[in-house]
Amino acid sequence: MRECMDRYGALVWSLARRLSRTASDAEDAAQEIFLDIWRSAARYDASRGSDKVFVATIARRRLIDRMRKKGGEPPMEPPEALESIAWSDPASLPETAIDASHAARALEELRPEQRQVLELGLMHGLSQSEIASRLRMPLGTVKSLMRRGLLRVREYMNIEIEGVAGRADG
Amino acid sequence: MAETGPRKEPDEAMLDLLIKQVTEGLSPEEQRELDVLDNEVASAYARDLEHAAAAISLAGTGQPEPMPAALRARIEAQLEAAMAPAAAPTQAAAPNGRSSTVGAIGRAPRPQSRSTAGWWAAAACLVLAVFGWLRAPSPVHGPGAVPTPAQQRDALLAQPGTLQVQLDATAEPAAAGAKADVVWDPRTQQGVVRFVGLKPNDPSQHQYQLWIFDGDRDQRYPVDGGVFDVPPNADQVVVPIHAALRVHAAKAFAVTIEKPGGVVVSGREHVVAIGKAG
Repeated sequence: MRECMDRYGALVWSLARRLSRTASDAEDAAQEIFLDIWRSAARYDASRGSDKVFVATIARRRLIDRMRKKGGEPPMEPPEALESIAWSDPASLPETAIDASHAARALEELRPEQRQVLELGLMHGLSQSEIASRLRMPLGTVKSLMRRGLLRVREYMNIEIEGVAGRADG
Repeated sequence: MAETGPRKEPDEAMLDLLIKQVTEGLSPEEQRELDVLDNEVASAYARDLEHAAAAISLAGTGQPEPMPAALRARIEAQLEAAMAPAAAPTQAAAPNGRSSTVGAIGRAPRPQSRSTAGWWAAAACLVLAVFGWLRAPSPVHGPGAVPTPAQQRDALLAQPGTLQVQLDATAEPAAAGAKADVVWDPRTQQGVVRFVGLKPNDPSQHQYQLWIFDGDRDQRYPVDGGVFDVPPNADQVVVPIHAALRVHAAKAFAVTIEKPGGVVVSGREHVVAIGKAG
């Protein structure tokens, strides 16, 4: 278990901190996430991605579920205080997170506004409506930027389904 | 029945729902809207988009912040408690010679003891499960040929040694008039459960959860087989089984109603179906 905590503890905690309303909420979320990881371990398929992305997927599911249930509560920090993300250098990511490296490369190629929308949504946990309000953009524009950005990343990561990203950008 | 032709693509409305699902979650209304769309296409895209979103999260995490020591200790204790049932030594569950798997439903107490031996066995179990991931074999099907659960069921039934177990609906209202069976391949640890007439659930309120009673484990603590939903207007659902632990000798299967996401140990307040193997 110590190895498991050594390997995933900081990742889970970092994600929980980012996508929780309070520090106490982040602690509760981290506990739930590790239970989820334990319950889901047998479902991991190495051919579909790295173990760290698998763990991040489980963590995001739980955190999104918690965010929805606590939707009425104020955020830990006002949106104006959100720091810009320092995206990892793709070359610096370990071999065990090759899919994260691909995602980082894909992000480098996105238009700045696509990257910004994904950053606010995925890293700061803002809803599409909150992003639209913060960036003073129509909701439809936010949806479109997010759709194109995420599909582009997905395409870059060479996930099986083809053609959609090209259509979305076309 | 093999898939033929190119994979279907989602329309813009489905894509918007799927992206919202993986970035901020869906309201119950939106979830219902998604449920009535093409489930096969939606689930394939949802998986890929969720994977991309997680990879982006990982790329943006940079140097992760260490978890506070006190929290880490709490989580380790929590996992210890959760794993103890799975690693508890097998006990004589049926001293009278009769199978107690069915009779145990609804009467089993929650685990309370945490023996040192159980803890080490549980810890070893987790390490094997987690680090065994890296050595997990690739799926037998190739890219673009992911079988549907119904196809999986057909394929499993064609395998020698596969168990087919009829489940009996209980008096639980959600199960009224329902019929169910499980197909389980002990060799590959793959299986599906098929329901006809099971009441649709609201995933934000509760989910169905499958349990596998393993003859080599303590019968009070069946193996989690995964959670699933029954969408509105679905006459029949076929759901893959995802056993959380290796099942050595499946003796019975049961389905309960649990909170969203399922539970590690069921309180068994709402058992909807159960059936014994063999």
